[in-house]
Amino acid sequence: MEAVQVLMDNLWVGIGAILVFFMLGGFILLEAGSTRMKNAGHIAGKTIFTAGIGTLVFWAVGYGFIYGDGNPFIGLSNFFYGDASAPEGGLTTAVDFSFQVMFALVSLTIAFGGFAERAKLSVYVIFAILFSAFIYPVVAHWIWGGGWLAEHGKQDFAGSTVVHLTGAMAALAATMILKPRIGKYNKDGSSNVLAGHNQVYTTLGVLILWVGWFGFNGASTFGVADGFFGYVILNTQLAAGAGAVAAMFTAWAKTGKADVPTTLNGALAGLVAITASCGFVAPWAAVVIGLIGGIMVVFSMQLFEKLKIDDPIAALSVHGTVGVWGTLSNGLFALPALSTDIDWGQAGLFYGGGWEQLGVQALGVVASGAYAFVISFIILKIMDKVMGGLRVSEEEEIMGLDMSEHGSYGYPEQMALEEAKLTTAATKEKFS
Amino acid sequence: METYESIKKWKDAHISSYLLSNVSLNEFHDQVMLKVLHVAMGKIEWSKPPCEFIWFITGSGGRFEQGLISDQDHGIVYEISNEENDQYFKVLGEELSYGMDCVGYPYCNGNIMSSNPIWCKSLEQWRTQIIHWMENESWESIRYLQIFYDARVLYGNTNYIQQLKSIILEYQLEHPSLLSRFVANVKHIKSVIGPMGQILVEQHGVYQGCINLKYAAFLPYVNSIRLLSIKEGVYKTSTLERIEQLKKKVRYKDLLQYSFENFSTLITYRMSLFHSKNYDDTHYLNIKKLSKEQRKQLKRILKDGKKLHDSVVELTFLKS
Repeated sequence: MEAVQVLMDNLWVGIGAILVFFMLGGFILLEAGSTRMKNAGHIAGKTIFTAGIGTLVFWAVGYGFIYGDGNPFIGLSNFFYGDASAPEGGLTTAVDFSFQVMFALVSLTIAFGGFAERAKLSVYVIFAILFSAFIYPVVAHWIWGGGWLAEHGKQDFAGSTVVHLTGAMAALAATMILKPRIGKYNKDGSSNVLAGHNQVYTTLGVLILWVGWFGFNGASTFGVADGFFGYVILNTQLAAGAGAVAAMFTAWAKTGKADVPTTLNGALAGLVAITASCGFVAPWAAVVIGLIGGIMVVFSMQLFEKLKIDDPIAALSVHGTVGVWGTLSNGLFALPALSTDIDWGQAGLFYGGGWEQLGVQALGVVASGAYAFVISFIILKIMDKVMGGLRVSEEEEIMGLDMSEHGSYGYPEQMALEEAKLTTAATKEKFS
Repeated sequence: METYESIKKWKDAHISSYLLSNVSLNEFHDQVMLKVLHVAMGKIEWSKPPCEFIWFITGSGGRFEQGLISDQDHGIVYEISNEENDQYFKVLGEELSYGMDCVGYPYCNGNIMSSNPIWCKSLEQWRTQIIHWMENESWESIRYLQIFYDARVLYGNTNYIQQLKSIILEYQLEHPSLLSRFVANVKHIKSVIGPMGQILVEQHGVYQGCINLKYAAFLPYVNSIRLLSIKEGVYKTSTLERIEQLKKKVRYKDLLQYSFENFSTLITYRMSLFHSKNYDDTHYLNIKKLSKEQRKQLKRILKDGKKLHDSVVELTFLKS
């Protein structure tokens, strides 16, 4: 019987790895749909090769930095990880690695949301290496790898802080250094909508992410005992639904229109928000956490826009702002039955856990967020100097990164048409 | 001798002194356009028009609500169709559109111009066309009818326009369903008051924080007052004059209680925007620049406009 359970555990986490990896498919559609046609091929394609880089780096050093034996700050063994061994009664090293590497790739992809439509391809290459080696693994070690925050009792079930906030902080550093896209702001300070080219892609992207999240959260149980993963999936589903509904109503109440991209970000916000708490809270609390996440994301997007921080995919709001809320919500709503009573952490403020757990959660957010932001900022600043700027030239940005970075458009016929129109107009102007 | 260029120069030099009131500004526009007509008539081969005709303007000009700059909306009705007359007014219509453009009334996107054969016809042809429009009841023809209903004679001494409008009135009395078609045509209005009771402003772009006066504020009044005027056979074209006439009927007294005052205030707000060179600019009012009192007043006017619009829609639908 026990052998069967071990097998089932391995199988479930293996399926989880596949689901989490498929989230990259969601990001491809989400990002491509949320940006303009001339950058679509680039945005989609870069996700594949940065996944390649991220995988290699994570295998070489990333996994070791997280789970290797070391000190409270970083792990220092298990480099070039993986073999065919199957320890008794647990996950095989390969299954565990496969699951972990996918989380690192998701975090990396979130970070690149902040680079969209203006960063050089070479910047993606270098930053993918550095992020996968020195940023994500350090935070993950602190919280999941037995580092100093784990010792404090930080609770992050599937990675609100580790995956989402870390990625978002790198994205924030990038957006600040890269500056807004051409045409985003007017001289008088007002902003323009640079509408994404395909809402259907964006929607399908969100749905794929949503499905992938069942692996992200559900398989973070690392096993199938008691079918607890089903409870985790239930909470995940409730929060996502609540987030979508809340964001749509908030947008409607604010502007009179039920904006589609905002609704979609609401669903993602619900998912990000519940990530830290999905295995800790009651279903009704999952709904509340999702609702608040959905409302927050709308105001957060507006705030960043006002601050002149141009965030094309809303990565900062969805993964950053809401990632913080998700982590804190754990310190409010964690049930004793799912924490203290089973020796799996502390109950939240509303269940007699006092301020302590909330404080630990806040400390985790501040420390992890600050680390991810500061290191990303320094790395990007150095890259900026060394590489002669992170951003493509103005001309390249206008022609689109599909052409400037890759030599062909994602939508060749369409872009050829646009070009022809431009040339005709220019010729007419010259000769009339 | 006057030319389009000299008229434009004169217009540009003098328009600023007519910005004090809506009436003086619109009278000035009338004057300019009449000058264009005379130059246009002088430019074509015929020594004088071969028959009686009237030249009308419609749209905001027809309603006597033209701003600083607006595109041209106009048409011609002439006495009798024959080869010579048709030819003359075709040439005059084209010349007029060209001249208006030269003087600073850009071509109309909707092609409501005397150069378009649809808007340049003999009285008899017009009569046929209007009946056809009413029988056809397509979205476009209904829209044409509403545009025509705002027509105001700028040149000519005959009552052609009145004759044509009376056809609409008679037909409408016999076929009440027509009114429902008119309503359907203007039923949609931009929502301006949010679910939380706030004024909805532009979220993005250079007019961030502004409301679009034309769509958000003027149109609900203009359209609902026009609907009532069609229903009641009021031939006046300016919204304010229409309101005055309609108010004489007891059944509209409550409904239109504040309409005159509200609409006058809106016009005043728009006049305050007339310093810009851009046509679009004159539609956008930045509510942050208003005082608290003014914002409150504007909100009330917007709410009243929506209420008026909804009541008129209901009223005209019920009766049909």
